[in-house]
Amino acid sequence: MPDIRLASATKMRQTPLLIRVLIGIGCLLPFGCTSPPKGDPPLSIKLYQTWQLQPGDTIGDRSVVGGLGDISVALDGHNVYAPFDGRTQLDKRRCLFFSSPDVPAYLFRLCGLSDPRLGSVSQGDAIGSGQLLQFAALRKQPNGTWAIVEPAKSILERTLKKP
Amino acid sequence: MHHRKSRTTNVKYMLAGGSVVAALGLLADPSGLLPAPPPAKAVCQEVVQPRAVLSRDQLSKLLTIPERAAKTQVRQVVKEPYCQLSDVELRSNVSSRREAYPLEFDPQTWLVVMYEGDEYAGYSFSFRH
Repeated sequence: MPDIRLASATKMRQTPLLIRVLIGIGCLLPFGCTSPPKGDPPLSIKLYQTWQLQPGDTIGDRSVVGGLGDISVALDGHNVYAPFDGRTQLDKRRCLFFSSPDVPAYLFRLCGLSDPRLGSVSQGDAIGSGQLLQFAALRKQPNGTWAIVEPAKSILERTLKKP
Repeated sequence: MHHRKSRTTNVKYMLAGGSVVAALGLLADPSGLLPAPPPAKAVCQEVVQPRAVLSRDQLSKLLTIPERAAKTQVRQVVKEPYCQLSDVELRSNVSSRREAYPLEFDPQTWLVVMYEGDEYAGYSFSFRH
């Protein structure tokens, strides 16, 4: 009889401990399951063209969504896709830059995406979506600047349609 | 009575222990255990010179050539490529030609050189070949 009381008393003390341990583990789960955030500093690209306004600038208290050299595409919430294997980075204006070792000397700038995917991407991966995409192709110049050039239709097609 | 009590206690401990193990399992990232799919790399369309590699000397000479230089100037340094990748159109009405050279001192890494017509457009390093 006394040992039963002892056992139940021990059980009384142990059960809340177990629950506390479980709650503790439960609280840690969100941290364990998410990969650490990417700490890339914003990309700094110097354009060859010295135009005053770029997407992301503010003029007359309004924000500029597209500039000279951008192709505006009505995405209507659809995805855009990585045209090659490569990498995506944001600049300080929150535009997404896509670069690929398979395509030297070129960068593609995508402004207006709401949930861009950052880091290493494979060809055909969704890299973001939005309502209005501003797409620009940039070509490397000998002095290290990047010139906005007219993108080929095929590269836009690769970006807008999943291969 | 005593027997039944210890049995329910056992069940409770098993459930609690199982929950702890299951919770710990959730902490593990199983994606790391799965083999990573090989990246779909730019593939050779046509092998030009199967023995072609790029030496350190050639590489450092190539890096001194500015973009927009003549293709012949680049070819004088790097010679014939290992292979040619598929042509791509990035700028409207301009076809970009890509040629690949494995590095002599790091064959898993390729140098990709791009030309637009007779003009050198630029280079990049492509890893894990």
